[in-house]
Amino acid sequence: MDVEFEPRIVAFMCNWCTYAGADNAGVARLQSPANVLPIRVMCSGRVSPEMVMRVFRAGADGVLVMGCHLGDCHYASGNHRTAKRVPLLKNLLSYVGINPERLELHWVSGSEGPRFVEVTRAFTEKIRQLGPLAQEVAE
Amino acid sequence: MIEEIRTIVAGLLDELDAVVALRRSGEGVAPHLFQKGDDLSELEIAPRYPLMTLVSRLHKRFPAIRLGVVARGCDERAYIEMAKRNQIDPDRLSIIGFACTAEEAQECYCARPYPQQLLVGTPPPPGPVNPIVAEYDALPLAERRAFWRRHFARCIKCYGCRNICPECFCEACAMEDAVWVEPGLLAPPFPTFHLIRAMHMASRCVACRECEHACPAHIPLTVLYDLMRRDMEALLGYVPGADIAAPPPLSVTLEETPLRVARGH
Amino acid sequence: MDYRNTLTTCIYCGAGCQMYIETIDGQITGVWPAKTNQISQGRLCIKGWNVTGFVDSPDRLTTPLIRKDGELVPAGWDQALSLIAGKLRAVRQESGPDSIGILASAKCTNEENYLMNKFARAVIGTNNIDHCARLCHAPTVVGLAAAFGSGAMTNSIPEFETDTNCFLIMGSNTSEGHPLIASRIMKAQQERGARLVVIDPRETQLARIADLYLPFRPGTDVAVLNGLMHVIISEGLEDRLFIAGRTEGYEEMKAVVEQYTPERVEEISGVPADRLRQAARMYAQNRPSAFIYSMGITQHTTGVDNVKSVANLAMLTGNLGIVGAGVNPLRGQNNVQGACDMGALPNVYPGYQAVTSEEVQKKFQDVWGSTSHTGVGLTVTEMVNAVGEGRLRALYVMAENPMVSDPDLNHARRCLERAEFLVVQDIFLSETAQLAHVVLPGAAFVEKDGTFTATDRRVQRVRKAVEPPGEARADWEIICLLAQKMGATGFDFASPKEIMEEIARLTPSYAGISYERLEELGFLHWPCPAPDHPGTPVLHQGRFARGLGRFHAVEFQEPAELPDADYPFTLTTGRSIFHFHTGTMTRRTAKLHQEVPEAYIEMHPDDAARIGLNGGRRVRVSSRRGQIELGVRVTRRIKPGVVFIPFHFAEAAANALTNAAIDPTAKIPEYKVCAVRVEPCHQDVS
Repeated sequence: MDVEFEPRIVAFMCNWCTYAGADNAGVARLQSPANVLPIRVMCSGRVSPEMVMRVFRAGADGVLVMGCHLGDCHYASGNHRTAKRVPLLKNLLSYVGINPERLELHWVSGSEGPRFVEVTRAFTEKIRQLGPLAQEVAE
Repeated sequence: MIEEIRTIVAGLLDELDAVVALRRSGEGVAPHLFQKGDDLSELEIAPRYPLMTLVSRLHKRFPAIRLGVVARGCDERAYIEMAKRNQIDPDRLSIIGFACTAEEAQECYCARPYPQQLLVGTPPPPGPVNPIVAEYDALPLAERRAFWRRHFARCIKCYGCRNICPECFCEACAMEDAVWVEPGLLAPPFPTFHLIRAMHMASRCVACRECEHACPAHIPLTVLYDLMRRDMEALLGYVPGADIAAPPPLSVTLEETPLRVARGH
Repeated sequence: MDYRNTLTTCIYCGAGCQMYIETIDGQITGVWPAKTNQISQGRLCIKGWNVTGFVDSPDRLTTPLIRKDGELVPAGWDQALSLIAGKLRAVRQESGPDSIGILASAKCTNEENYLMNKFARAVIGTNNIDHCARLCHAPTVVGLAAAFGSGAMTNSIPEFETDTNCFLIMGSNTSEGHPLIASRIMKAQQERGARLVVIDPRETQLARIADLYLPFRPGTDVAVLNGLMHVIISEGLEDRLFIAGRTEGYEEMKAVVEQYTPERVEEISGVPADRLRQAARMYAQNRPSAFIYSMGITQHTTGVDNVKSVANLAMLTGNLGIVGAGVNPLRGQNNVQGACDMGALPNVYPGYQAVTSEEVQKKFQDVWGSTSHTGVGLTVTEMVNAVGEGRLRALYVMAENPMVSDPDLNHARRCLERAEFLVVQDIFLSETAQLAHVVLPGAAFVEKDGTFTATDRRVQRVRKAVEPPGEARADWEIICLLAQKMGATGFDFASPKEIMEEIARLTPSYAGISYERLEELGFLHWPCPAPDHPGTPVLHQGRFARGLGRFHAVEFQEPAELPDADYPFTLTTGRSIFHFHTGTMTRRTAKLHQEVPEAYIEMHPDDAARIGLNGGRRVRVSSRRGQIELGVRVTRRIKPGVVFIPFHFAEAAANALTNAAIDPTAKIPEYKVCAVRVEPCHQDVS
């Protein structure tokens, strides 16, 4: 019997924008997928490549990095670093044969509750299609 | 060529405190600090070592020391990146640059086998791009996976790649942090151990190839780092070691170093 | 400003890598790999990169210590040496020279081991000198001497990269025990398509990249080796010319091997019959084939039998006396080969010249002025027992730590605690030194000159880069001072260079070795019998050291202690790349300690389930001899029924569990097999 694959998603969310946005979605009773494990960081720029990779290794099938829109960062330019890092990290993942689509960067503000839900739902479905990461990094 | 270098060094030792170069003795060839009065016939240029590591060490230990260094293109590139990060003081360093041979350029797949401050030798033609790198985009994901799985399986976690790298000067290294990399395992955890370094090399790797030479497991590390360098140039217009005035892009704003169109994988 | 890079040889394993110790104004500031060294070629393992990590430890011994009212208190050199000299003289007077024992050191230089052997024989008059080779490659020395006439690695490390076509690795976790040797194997596989066959109870790193991996039950080596030979003979893959022209004893061996069908071997050892056949063919048909082994072959009650079987296999296929082939024991310590060469053994003088030979005795007597005339002396394992029984009244230990490395540690502790007079010379207050009556502070390898002999008989220089701390002194100086205190002559050497000159005069295989030649050439392989001889990388070319190679007919015997209802698991022990032996140096090196801070046991998930571990992290492991508690790593790399513990951790010492049963000829303990029970540690829930 086939057990249906439920993707495990980890979402790094910046405290000032995205986390507030997720909160808002909850208050508005909007349902985002239960697959998503939130990790709050003070700024999306805090998310280092080692965090993302460790989370993949620990069993995440997909990772979202989410923060304030450019220009809105609580720390002025923290998200600039994110903007540069994530594409580089995606490419690096692809170079070792890990599907880069398993990592996505989105700007989601505190008032974008519905958008938060839309992003997480779409990403979860995409990862469901891609299948478990364990198959890609299996020993 | 080497006689010319020795003569230049001899002259410079009148004004500088010391010159960092390789020395041949009964104990092989090793990095050395030539001071006034030393026998310069012992000065060598091969087999090469990452001399900027020593320059950095000396600059920090002796805040007033004025040094020269006999440098290849990669040494100078390493210096440029280290100077930007306050590891070497450009005001206290004179570069005695010399050109690599055509064979050396080929062996290292080196795009710029000579320093900007070139004093000795003529620039040879650049080496080719590593064929594995050149053809990499055509490889499907599964083959890339198999390639690195096979190579990383041999890693014995010597940290030689990091230890020998002139750009790896962090006192607290993420590769050693048990939070990110489970300690005490052979082969070290995939993908964390190697990819943490590869990401950290993104704006620093100057393609000196020392990491690959230091690897007892013969892992083609430079393939991964060359791909990161390629992205660094394509995405952020940045070439490590090219311009001492160019800020490291990952540390500054998008206004200073904008993102170009992301290339496909 | 004094900036220096001093080329020296690594203190850890027997590969013989070299590195530069960088010093600025006499202080160690870094390590550079040596790009011109033939072994390391600009690479190092994690221990090599961190080789100076322990040198400045605050735990370094800096003064002699004498036990007063139960406590070790600092003392002066003169006081300490006088005390030792007086006591040794008295003991010798009252009870004879054989009431004194000496443990030399596989960590110390050739010069120091030579002086210890001279001290034991010329000053004390005993042959009770041994060292930790007893615990590791004693069967190699005995077994290969019997088979070939020389007990050493037959080929040299660089050949693995350039010439070997097939590696058969049995009982060696090479990428962890000898990383830079594994580096050559990996390169050969990658660049020349050399075949790799690994036979090991655990799926080691090399096993995972091997062309063929054969897991097998610990202690069944003879069966597996006989099985390989059975296949080779029955398929006509043996080298008949070699057998006919260069060996003797073939028919008797063949008759025994005929009984070891692959099916029978599968029953005994667990190796699938078809895989055994594949391995045999791979080894026989891809000459030159190198057999590489380490403790997995030697640390058994059948250690000598195991080694002889390895020798049989190599002779059977003509894999001797040619480049890239051979029988290649990887010696664990940086200078265990040298310590053996220097006669730190109870039955031989330097150069393996027998103590029982009157001619040899006379030769040494003539140069030294005196020597021992007692018979073959006691081994390490026998000395510990003799101390316990009072037959050995005094024991002088240089740079060895039997309190962690001996088998059945509780027994060893009871014996050594009873020592009437124990002197320990070391750089740290090791577990053994903690029991001593007098402790002498020696020098670390970066603090003295000398030579080490690597596993492939390669003699290389060790060079002083910094001064020893406090009042610590080079071990060769200490031995000389002690000998002089005892009224001996022949110990006034101005430098290790002079000691080597004496060694060369008395040791035929080292006769052509001198510091001048080592400066010029970097290394020399013994035998080097003359000052213009280039050294001998490959042994037994054309003829064996004993003339013809000798086949031995060897039957399989079970290990001494097998699992049973009370102790249902087989414990096997070994190394981790991140530590070295008893951990005195590596556990004081931050970069190594952080990788593996404490002991662990490897266990198969089925076994973890069977004992009810349920995700628990710690277990209690007991044998008939002792009990320890430690963390557990559940892994599929080990077979069900077998558990593994690395022996580096004194507080959870694997050797508290191991069996002191020994090989009858080589006297090596059976570290690789004993029976244990494993139970989860239940934390109090309250």
